[in-house]
Amino acid sequence: MAELVLTDVDKVYDNGFHAVKDLSLDVADGEFLVLVGPSGCGKTTALRMVAGLEDITDGTIAIGGTVVNDLPSRKRNIAMVFQSYALYPHMTVAENIGFGLAIRKDARADIQAKVEQAARLLDLTPLLDRRPKQLSGGQRQRVAMGRAIVRDAQLFLMDEPLSNLDAKLRVQMRAEIAGLQQQLGITTVYVTHDQVEAMTMGHRVAVMRLGELQQVAPPQELYDYPDNVFVAGFIGTPPMTLFHAQLDASSAGARIVVGGQALELPEQVLQSRPALHGAAGREVIVGMRSEDLYPQQEPGRQSLAVTVTLFEALGSSIQVGFRFDGKPVDEARLGSGVASEDDHGLARLSHAGGVNGVATFPPRSTVRIGEQITVWVDTERLHFFDVETGLALR
Amino acid sequence: MTTSHAAADASVPRRRPMTFAEWLRTRAWRHAVAWVAVALALLPVLWVMSAAFTSKPSITSGSIIPRDATLENFRILVSNPDQPYLRWYLNTMVLAIVVAVVTVLIAAGAAYAFSRFRFKGRKVGLMFLLLVQMFPQFLSLVAIYLILAQVSDVFAGMGLDSLFGLGLVYLGGAMGINAWLIKGFFDTIPIEIDESAKVDGATHGQIFWGIILPLAAPVLAVVGLLSFIGTINEFLMASVLLESPERLTLAVGLQQFIGNRYSENWGPFAAGALLAAIPVVILFLVLQRFIVGGLTQGSVKG
Repeated sequence: MAELVLTDVDKVYDNGFHAVKDLSLDVADGEFLVLVGPSGCGKTTALRMVAGLEDITDGTIAIGGTVVNDLPSRKRNIAMVFQSYALYPHMTVAENIGFGLAIRKDARADIQAKVEQAARLLDLTPLLDRRPKQLSGGQRQRVAMGRAIVRDAQLFLMDEPLSNLDAKLRVQMRAEIAGLQQQLGITTVYVTHDQVEAMTMGHRVAVMRLGELQQVAPPQELYDYPDNVFVAGFIGTPPMTLFHAQLDASSAGARIVVGGQALELPEQVLQSRPALHGAAGREVIVGMRSEDLYPQQEPGRQSLAVTVTLFEALGSSIQVGFRFDGKPVDEARLGSGVASEDDHGLARLSHAGGVNGVATFPPRSTVRIGEQITVWVDTERLHFFDVETGLALR
Repeated sequence: MTTSHAAADASVPRRRPMTFAEWLRTRAWRHAVAWVAVALALLPVLWVMSAAFTSKPSITSGSIIPRDATLENFRILVSNPDQPYLRWYLNTMVLAIVVAVVTVLIAAGAAYAFSRFRFKGRKVGLMFLLLVQMFPQFLSLVAIYLILAQVSDVFAGMGLDSLFGLGLVYLGGAMGINAWLIKGFFDTIPIEIDESAKVDGATHGQIFWGIILPLAAPVLAVVGLLSFIGTINEFLMASVLLESPERLTLAVGLQQFIGNRYSENWGPFAAGALLAAIPVVILFLVLQRFIVGGLTQGSVKG
């Protein structure tokens, strides 16, 4: 058990690709940190540098106070779970789990005891004599976990360990891994492109994009206070509705104007976000979470006329895709990952002009595709970002 | 196979038995092809057996199943001190086994480096190995002869007329193509397995011996077998580089039985060839499991 400290870590590949830029990150002892980001954001490269599988171009990585830049993987006392599990096909489950110990030349009885203990923890006891080929995906995943936990490593590294599992198993293993980490209290860095995994598993979540760290925060804080447009768009399912709007402020009060519609902003909105004053009279990027949009009017809510483009009843709620006149946020700002990964496509099903958004309505709300409706926006819960820098205005 | 048949039986209604005409039209040709293949494979064997057990001096006369089967040829084979067949046999087996084992080890080592490490000259090295293979070995015969002749001056046991020298030549000749073959197989073993072992604390050596080699067993068996057979069959190099009767290999030695103009001893030759085939057959049977396993394992990922 140990803390992990990355200081100004850079990775430039031989072909000149700058995969990780100036990454500084502290992972406390016993913490579960999730590295999340779209494909190619450098999260896996960062993890592999910690593991010693990639050279570090610049900066330092310290595990438990020891700088490990020049230590080979095998001397870093870490354990890693790979996306493909990387089990040794010619060994039994027991041999797989005990491999690290056998390499270390532990006593045979010790190895057996530890393997059995790990197997009990992971429900693998009846499978110890099988070979990886004879196991299901979830069982293989567990063996990979077993191989990691048996070694008393000071650091766990997991590289998208759940992405090869089916959806149901993924949810189950998600809880199991998080629980196991809690139980063992081993510092863990977990890489995923799935922001649901990131939100549900990590003590803190680090969002990366194009090799740069965007924000590190506990999941709820990340969700409630995204530091920039990218984090706002990336975290959350369905994604935040983002659009350009004109921010007008006068003595009478403030409002945002988008595509000819105006939303009045109450006093508190500006009070709680001092930075907004500086942006008055300019264009800003505004974000709305789907759950801050309502079908009925109430005090503090402002109306927005939209056209329904999609209707998905999920049982416990209804997701309404809609469109309204305005200037959408450039896709490039949000990073390629937003559009390419699973649920994020929802808001973008229709490509016609205007801003596409998603609202989550209570079940049994009745709207039809093509219908003009009014959604009521909780303006206090709006997010504002600078057009130039993309940083949050608050 | 059985499961898929059973499934087919369950889902498809039972067909009526086919008529003879249908059988002739749809299946008969397969039997014909099979029998031709079997005949092509077995006829030479039959012939050599016939020649080995007959007492007649010529192979062209007489029936294919000798009426007067005898072991006379085998007796001749082992009793002539000028043509020490058993000695050749021993030479050949030792040489073939050592060359096969060392070939596998060297080629696997080279293949591991080419497959897993990224170093300067890797691509060039690979192309060079392939290029060298394009030229038949006998093109280099003169050069090899001269080199070994000079080596003889310094280390007599490693130069001309030595099995050790011949073995080295064989090893060099087979390196390239085998390294390529094994590298191709190594490339199919996911790199994550290496990396996982690395993180687990293994050194390159431990990964190579403990993980990669066991996983590559099928291709190693194939390379070893081919090398073994190749050494037993090789004639040209051995005939040029070896001289003393007690240092010959089977291929060169047996040739003496039929090579001399006025003494074509086909009987002992056939007997000797038959005995020489036994270890190859045995090795094939033993390694068959690996070879077939290698064919199927390569097609399925992971």
